[in-house]
Amino acid sequence: MFEVKDLRVNVGGAEIIKGLNLAVPAGETHAIMGPNGSGKSTLAYALSGRDGYEVIQGAATLAGEDLLALEPEARAAKGLFLSFQYPVEIPGLSVIAFLKAALNAQRQARGLEPMPAPELLKLMRAKAASLKIDPEMLKRPLNVGFSGGEKKRFEALQMAVLEPRFAILDETDSGLDIDALKIVAENVNALRAPDRAMLVITHYQRLLDYIRPDKVHVLAKGRIVASGGPDLALELEREGYDKYLRAA
Amino acid sequence: MSAAQLPTRRDEAWKYSDLRAAVGAEAVGLREAPDVIERLAPRTDVLNLARGETRVVVERLDAETGVEAIAQDWRVAEGAALVRVVLQTGAAIGLSLARVELAAGARLQQFVLAEGGKLARVETHIVAGEGAEVELNGVYMCAAGRHADLTSIITHADPNGATRQLIKGVVRKGGRGVFQGKIVVAPRAQKTDARQYHHGMLLEDGAEIFAKPELMIHADDVQCAHGNTAGGLDESALFYMRARGVPEATARALLIEAFLLEAIPSDLPGEAREEIESRIRAWLAEARA
Repeated sequence: MFEVKDLRVNVGGAEIIKGLNLAVPAGETHAIMGPNGSGKSTLAYALSGRDGYEVIQGAATLAGEDLLALEPEARAAKGLFLSFQYPVEIPGLSVIAFLKAALNAQRQARGLEPMPAPELLKLMRAKAASLKIDPEMLKRPLNVGFSGGEKKRFEALQMAVLEPRFAILDETDSGLDIDALKIVAENVNALRAPDRAMLVITHYQRLLDYIRPDKVHVLAKGRIVASGGPDLALELEREGYDKYLRAA
Repeated sequence: MSAAQLPTRRDEAWKYSDLRAAVGAEAVGLREAPDVIERLAPRTDVLNLARGETRVVVERLDAETGVEAIAQDWRVAEGAALVRVVLQTGAAIGLSLARVELAAGARLQQFVLAEGGKLARVETHIVAGEGAEVELNGVYMCAAGRHADLTSIITHADPNGATRQLIKGVVRKGGRGVFQGKIVVAPRAQKTDARQYHHGMLLEDGAEIFAKPELMIHADDVQCAHGNTAGGLDESALFYMRARGVPEATARALLIEAFLLEAIPSDLPGEAREEIESRIRAWLAEARA
């Protein structure tokens, strides 16, 4: 469903991703683990089309459609979702207004009518309830003054409302205490579906106790240097990344 | 008096707004008066609010040619509240001066929306008595060839007063925004609580924003804070919205709108608030086109 072939990405003139291959079939969840500076966030940003992340070679396709030639908003409309490691504060724009703009822009790009406001509100409230988000918080400016954990819950809320085909979760566990982590993981797991795939980027094994991946990939120095089953994450937790950094 | 007696940019209070050059050859009559705008206004209105009275006024500067000038002296008695909304939209020279005297426990809530003109200036001088509260917010949005100047001097003369000032502005190429805000805390005005913020956004290269915030504090037991920024649109917020599927132009407009709307007090009378919001949206729609 989601495929990356021989991807090379420059940031500020330096090559950070150096020929990366990855395939996540529909219905599967894969994890990418790697030490700091291995290129995890660069990969997430390059795939979602951020300025300054220059793809110099390779391809990335979602359900056979090329993503890299598209603007970030068009990638989102195709069903790509990035849960940000550091969600951005948007002063003056409520969660409701933000999600309304996002959902209806995506619907428009897909040739659908905007979702009627009452229906949208009901949807947001239901998803918020299952993330144990106080509905009053939906009226607050997005992420402004939210704790690290709250921001991650709202990323999960956006994902639940937007229902992407392919989601990249960049360090979703950072800033979350264990209770919040469980809630976010439950909601992410609830989104698993035969026609959806996910890529979980993480530094630590902990998150993968709650979001069980089908496959684990090790990213080191801009390349996938090892792939395996969920046990690979346990091995990394035990033995660290040294072995892979030396080999890379 | 003749136009030659109007201030030039050498005059500190007018250094960012060259009134003499703007007025130029316009046929204007000048009166003898203490303040510059007052000299250009046909008269100075004296307006009184009685004890405990609340009044809402909406002033409009909307002339498309020539010089339009308003001068007012407000006396707001003990416990009275003045809500003053100034909407400056005309392309001409639009000038407003209000001197506001707030007695003990009086309140002024002012909101200025300025779209700029050949030269537009909304100037407010406030003297606040004991426990008086001032809220002095505003938005300026200047397209090419438009100049908007929000100038204020707030003097806390007596103890326990409070000021909240939040000015936001956006300027396009060839436009100019000016904010001059002075807060004076007199020696006897202990326990004054004053906050002043100005945030300007330059939407394109060739936009100009000039800001001169000043706090003059002569009392020692006060809380005063101020902040002043001018920059472009937050690129990380823009990317965040686009990554959620919002097209770039829409995302820009929403972010700018949200930036500006923050300055509008939520308790402003509904009709005024609606007009201000719809003017902001119309301006942004034009900026997008």
